[in-house]
Amino acid sequence: MTALAERRAEARTIFEGHGLPTRRVEEWKYSGLKEALDEAGLGEDTAYVRLLGRLPEGVEYCDLANPKPWAAAHFGTLARNAVSEASLAFAEGGLALRVPAGKAVAEPLLLETGGAGHARLLLVLEDGASLTLFETTDMAGTRNTGFEIVLAADAHLAHVRLARPVEDVQVEEIALSLAARARYDGHFASFGGKLARAELTIALEGEGAQAHLSGVSVLGANAHADVTTHVIHRKGNTRSTQLFKHVAGGKAHAVYQGKVTVAKGADGADSRQTAKALLLSETAEADLKPELEIFADDVKCAHGAAVGDLDADSLFYLRARGIPEAHARAILMYAFLEDALEPIANEDLRGAVRTGVQAALRSLL
Amino acid sequence: MLEIKNLHVSVGDKPILKGLTLSIAPGQVHAIMGPNGSGKSTLSYVLAGRAGYDITEGSILYSGEDLAAMPPEVRAAKGVFLAMQYPVEIPGVTTMTFLKTALNSQRRARGESDLDAVNVLKLVRARAKALNVSEEMLKRALNVGFSGGEKKRLEILQMAIFEPKLAILDETDSGLDIDALKLVADGVNALRGPERAMLVITHYQRLLDYIVPDRIHVLAKGRIVAEGGKELALELEAKGYDQFAREPA
Repeated sequence: MTALAERRAEARTIFEGHGLPTRRVEEWKYSGLKEALDEAGLGEDTAYVRLLGRLPEGVEYCDLANPKPWAAAHFGTLARNAVSEASLAFAEGGLALRVPAGKAVAEPLLLETGGAGHARLLLVLEDGASLTLFETTDMAGTRNTGFEIVLAADAHLAHVRLARPVEDVQVEEIALSLAARARYDGHFASFGGKLARAELTIALEGEGAQAHLSGVSVLGANAHADVTTHVIHRKGNTRSTQLFKHVAGGKAHAVYQGKVTVAKGADGADSRQTAKALLLSETAEADLKPELEIFADDVKCAHGAAVGDLDADSLFYLRARGIPEAHARAILMYAFLEDALEPIANEDLRGAVRTGVQAALRSLL
Repeated sequence: MLEIKNLHVSVGDKPILKGLTLSIAPGQVHAIMGPNGSGKSTLSYVLAGRAGYDITEGSILYSGEDLAAMPPEVRAAKGVFLAMQYPVEIPGVTTMTFLKTALNSQRRARGESDLDAVNVLKLVRARAKALNVSEEMLKRALNVGFSGGEKKRLEILQMAIFEPKLAILDETDSGLDIDALKLVADGVNALRGPERAMLVITHYQRLLDYIVPDRIHVLAKGRIVAEGGKELALELEAKGYDQFAREPA
């Protein structure tokens, strides 16, 4: 049996041992996966991952079914939980990408996951490499995606994930490992699903590594969107920032769970977490749970969460200038989200996310 | 143009305006002066249609129509404009986009066609110059990071662009130094005309040195307690509001 086959067999054993997480599992408290799925569960099919457009110059790839040594070295090594083990166990192959040392890729890499079943992705940025990755989802299908991202020293990844609105259960577990001075900028937009979740486990393994996350969700009707993060500061002078904003109307349910762990000895770590939700109806719900776990001495950590309604003064101001109420509300909802969209550095990608957000806001009115 | 009769307004259970009567004809500029807590801002908000101000008695007619029955955006489209004491900051919307959205919302409500981006830009630039509102300010998010003076200039710029029939200026002088005050007053004076009525609400006489009103009303404890020509402002400046505050309401 190859090492890969062994790892997949192990993953299957782990997943079958745990089973699908229910609400009784702390990390899934607000998004019971088992409860949201029917009898078939996540199934054992393989979903697809494809490139949109061409492969940017400087990026290498291989199939995870037949991995090159650089892919085999990392595949299945990062953070494990029952659901990510499931994608490892059941997805036949998957896409592995690499940017070699020192290579700065200017053109964004565009990826799409789709179909029903499990998908696996691996991205390796070697020393000093940089890349902008745009990840989107096609509409239908119960899907579980497992994504491992390895950033070597001084590497820089800008990641924009735009999850299209769905009726299904779609979850993705993204596990990252950052070496010294590596930087990850992650931006997430979600319009919900029966249960739509992006889970990020980010290990700042090297001195001076940093992760900056921002995200928005715009949810109506019965949509559910969950962003769950766990940032682990393992070394000194690591930094992380998080800004997540949700707008929920109808009977929608927005979830943010963010845990920051500062390990012993990670002195000089700096972490900030902000989560805010705007509820547009009595029946919409938001669960915002920032959490800190500190084992080091000299650290700066701040977190905050707030749930509210549109500002009455602002609404009156716009209406007093002749802007009808529904339009004024849309402007203010967009204004609420703006500072979580603004950090997307790539202008085209920021535009694509804005367009999606504006369309979703219009459908809430 | 504006006829307010025996107006009583409460905020929550608290009566603020207690029988205010006032009328302004087209072409006139009236001033309302009064101490803090006299009901000045309440009057401006009631005229513009802010929620939470209940009219318990009396009426407001604007060009013969019941103003109180109209939502704020309808009032704006019909030519009512309130230059606010505290303009709000709205991130994510550039000032230029806001001006275009507001202008075209008003035009649409009146059954007029939208002005295209080029023509809006021309109009805004032409008006902005006189008020010293820079291109850079127009590109920034609405009022975000603007100084007090910049915010007030932007309020007057909106008035110049929307060309209201009834303009209400709520404490437009507050927070302005003398140069900014002159600039704003010049902007307001340039908009005086035979078809336009203005109501200037202020605590201090200072602004009225530059925007000289046809008539001054003194508001105290929710009612008009004195009226007169522009000379009344000087008398108030000399004697203060105490003479009115002491009178039983």
